[in-house]
Amino acid sequence: MPLGLFATIWMPGGEDLARLAPVWSLVGTIVGVLLAALIVGRNWRVAGGVTMIGALVTAWLAFRGFTATEGHWAGMSPAGAAPMLVVDQFSHFFIFLLAIFLAAVTWLWFMGQDAAVPDISAHRGDATEFFVLLVGSAFGMAMMVSTTNLLMIILAVESASLPSYGLAGFRKKNRQSAEASLKYVLFGAVTSAIMIYGASLLYGRYHTLDLAMIGRQIQIEGPTVLMGVAMFAFMVGVAFKVSAVPFHFWCPDVFEGASIEVTTWLSVVSKAAGLGLMLRIIAVVTSELTSTDALQYVTMAIAIMAALTCTWGNFSAFRQTNMKRLLAFSSIAHAGYMLMAVAIIWKPAEGALSPAHPAFSAIVAYITVYLLMNLGAFACIAFVYWSTGSESIDAFNGMARRNPLLMVAMVVFLFSLVGLPPMGGFLAKWWLLAALWDAKLIWLIFVAVFNTVISLYYYARIAVAMVFRDDDQAPLRAPLAGQAIVLACAVGILLTGTLWAGRLKDFSDARSRDLYAVTQKSPAGSVAAAESGTAD
Amino acid sequence: MDLTSLLNWIIFLPLIGAVVVLFAPAQMARSITWLFTFGVFLLSCALFGPFWDGSAFKGEYGVMQYETIVKWIDVGGFHINYHVGLDGISFPLIILTTLITWLSAWASWNFDHWNVNRGPKGFFALFLLLETGVLGTFAALDFFLFYIFWEVMLLPMYFLIGVWGGPRKEYAAIKFFIYTLAGSVLMLVALLAMYYTSGDAVGGDGTFNLIDYATKPAIIQMFNDEATRFLGWNFGQAMFVMLFIAFMIKVPVFPFHTWLPDAHVEAPTPISMILAGILLKLGAYGFFRVCYPIFPEAAQSLAYGVALLGVINIIYGAFCCLAQTDFKRLVAYSSISHMGYVVLGIAIMTSTGFQGAMFQVLAHGISSPMCFFLVGVIYDRAHHRDLNRFGGLWLAMPRYGSLATLGFFASLGLPSLCGFIGEIWVLLGTFNAPFPWAKPMAVVAAFGVVLTAAYILWMIQRVYLGKKKEEYAEFPDADARETAILIPMAALAIFMGILPSYTFRLMNGTIDRMLNDVIGPAMAVAFGG
Repeated sequence: MPLGLFATIWMPGGEDLARLAPVWSLVGTIVGVLLAALIVGRNWRVAGGVTMIGALVTAWLAFRGFTATEGHWAGMSPAGAAPMLVVDQFSHFFIFLLAIFLAAVTWLWFMGQDAAVPDISAHRGDATEFFVLLVGSAFGMAMMVSTTNLLMIILAVESASLPSYGLAGFRKKNRQSAEASLKYVLFGAVTSAIMIYGASLLYGRYHTLDLAMIGRQIQIEGPTVLMGVAMFAFMVGVAFKVSAVPFHFWCPDVFEGASIEVTTWLSVVSKAAGLGLMLRIIAVVTSELTSTDALQYVTMAIAIMAALTCTWGNFSAFRQTNMKRLLAFSSIAHAGYMLMAVAIIWKPAEGALSPAHPAFSAIVAYITVYLLMNLGAFACIAFVYWSTGSESIDAFNGMARRNPLLMVAMVVFLFSLVGLPPMGGFLAKWWLLAALWDAKLIWLIFVAVFNTVISLYYYARIAVAMVFRDDDQAPLRAPLAGQAIVLACAVGILLTGTLWAGRLKDFSDARSRDLYAVTQKSPAGSVAAAESGTAD
Repeated sequence: MDLTSLLNWIIFLPLIGAVVVLFAPAQMARSITWLFTFGVFLLSCALFGPFWDGSAFKGEYGVMQYETIVKWIDVGGFHINYHVGLDGISFPLIILTTLITWLSAWASWNFDHWNVNRGPKGFFALFLLLETGVLGTFAALDFFLFYIFWEVMLLPMYFLIGVWGGPRKEYAAIKFFIYTLAGSVLMLVALLAMYYTSGDAVGGDGTFNLIDYATKPAIIQMFNDEATRFLGWNFGQAMFVMLFIAFMIKVPVFPFHTWLPDAHVEAPTPISMILAGILLKLGAYGFFRVCYPIFPEAAQSLAYGVALLGVINIIYGAFCCLAQTDFKRLVAYSSISHMGYVVLGIAIMTSTGFQGAMFQVLAHGISSPMCFFLVGVIYDRAHHRDLNRFGGLWLAMPRYGSLATLGFFASLGLPSLCGFIGEIWVLLGTFNAPFPWAKPMAVVAAFGVVLTAAYILWMIQRVYLGKKKEEYAEFPDADARETAILIPMAALAIFMGILPSYTFRLMNGTIDRMLNDVIGPAMAVAFGG
């Protein structure tokens, strides 16, 4: 092979690669877990330990990115070609969150090993596979929020989904788990197919993989039916990840069938990744648009979808008695709240369009608080399951006597999920409502607040079981390290709702400013936005 | 001595108490709670000075005593302050709260006999947390802070009813919770709308300052302008209606009153005392602090509806009382009837009406906890509350019987007792109000007095009078603790009834300022134009 050929192959520069350090760290973790199995044999402690270290390193690398002043960076492609990957504060934020959550789920998994009722711990020998799948899906989700390229989006969604199918079926001898996995695969396959179909239509019509270029073409040609169909089909795959109505049917079954660690994992980051992707797609595509015609339909469609998702999720949760299923519907409802903010990233203004900053910031704040709430709530369910073998609400009866600390923490999580002050859930919802007001979508505000009232009923049912009822079950012993996580989450929620409320807002403003800057077409606009954002 | 920070101590001392209760031994919980609530009561008495000598009422509406402003959330165009202070509307309610909370802490002394196998720590910690929520709501001058404190009350109350309540406690607790939350989300929407609209008014970031809403000309102009719209409605009216619904659920006003009888009947005695004596007043306080000074024009245009709701409350509540056989349920419905006078008094927007409504708030804040405690005393002994099974209790328990008669007469509105002043002020005010419909309303509402006399006297006859019944003959009379709890309330009921001017002087200054500076100009525009 002549040496000259290598010169024509494009290679990314070292600086570009360094920017992607957090993603490399995730890839390294996968390799590490596999290599560890080769070197020391199939040892579950080593596999979990390597994952834990990898997750923490990733979190640290992403955290370091918070101080970067570079703003939005798009590249990893030869000059003139569509950029493959993007790095900005939003991707740093998401990977940071993801890595922290990965560490937390690994932590949960470790504690599950000592459980009285074997769940996933029965598959201790498969720890290597479990963690490769887990980190693999984390890698896919990290890519989902780091790209604006059609091809990369599809690859990212697939590499997030495929390991998740495996994870959902990881309770191998459990019939429900197998059913969950199958449902997940079928749903995922169909929505992926539709998504790829949409992508191929977009590529065929606009001859580019770059979303920004597609947006420019739409601006030139004006909205067409083909564009509408293609964009809709493309977004179906994303809506599936978010579990927005009507693409939510997999969610309750998968959450119920999968082991508790996997459910915890899917409930937060899988949805957050989908939201991040949706946010980025819409922000980038619409950044090139100047006419409101097309956008009005997009906004309205997402707003209606958000209202349906949230109302459907809340009403469906009413009759659930299985805690995982109940929280699955709750997570659908919360996806609905967050979708509301996606609907308003562009708001109508006098004459021209102006991008709405509060919406980006609101989503970041919501995801942050939502992570704490769901992690805590699922950890509580895990402790109950591990000692009683039951996931029903009745297993929580008499919690006030059986483990008062866990009861208090769970009450904090539940009422934060409702959105009551002084919990962080209220502040998150408040920023969301403020963003909705800013965009003059007042009917959506009413939908959101009345959903809050509806949701109170089923969250309170859990509180009722824990505090009001008592059927003399034995005291509940939760692992000390687990109680530490739960306490940390509860304290975090109380702080973000009171003393740290300003910090939460500062944090989410800073993390979302680059995404916002993208929507400002002129470079001067993005500089101004970067300066006005508060660095912490 | 600098008393400026005293109010903050009063608000947060109960919270500290709650933490202390959680870490102290269980058997000390009630003593600690008693000490903390009593300490807070004494501290709140130290606030009397400027209200007593009238120096608090110099200057325009919005001059506050013991004011504290600290920046809390100050990012992204939001300026949310920890802003508390007192004027003639909030100060009497602070005193009422600390007093009634202390007395109900005392009323919780026989906690061990409630037959719930649940330790006292949770109860007393939640009890103290509730007090912080209530005091914070009365003192808050920042709307956002007001909302936070308003919601903070919900959780403790929910658990206090739900865990330590009667047989249908779960139903009563969740009903209370959902009703109140439905109201408060409307308040949340109003909070958003008022924040952003005030921002539009001043051409910059908005404000959450409740006083600025009522006194800053640009904001008044914007809020009451016909051109300002909310979903196509007149902005002022839309906000007024949403806030009014939020507060009327708490008062409660017909048709949102149905949570109240359930909650009261199921709640344990001290919680009923707090619920009736203080929590209902939060709704009335919301009218005084938020609805009326900020949206006087909307209030004026909707006065007919508000007054009508008030009259319905008075009459409907009284008829419901006549139909009750459960002692506690009767007292609960009498609360609905009595709070109707408050709504009617506010609706007519005159000096007499406001004074009467405010006085009625305080009078009912004294008499209704007293009535609930009286019911509790007898329930502790008889373990039932069926009116038709009682009889001759006065003979069996002379001291208790005398105090009970006094308490129920105060509730009835007998002249020379506290209930009379508020009712007569409201009725006279309504009769003289500058509305064409006011006189007929006053006449109808006056029938409420007759109905009240009917159900109270009938109840007294069934329970306290008549021959001594054998099954109740052995009941011990009110013991020292029970008497000690009843005496302050009885004394206040008499004092407020005979010398009402001492109560009026605490609040009249602010009511006059509010009417002259804020509501008067708006009314003049409405009537003159």
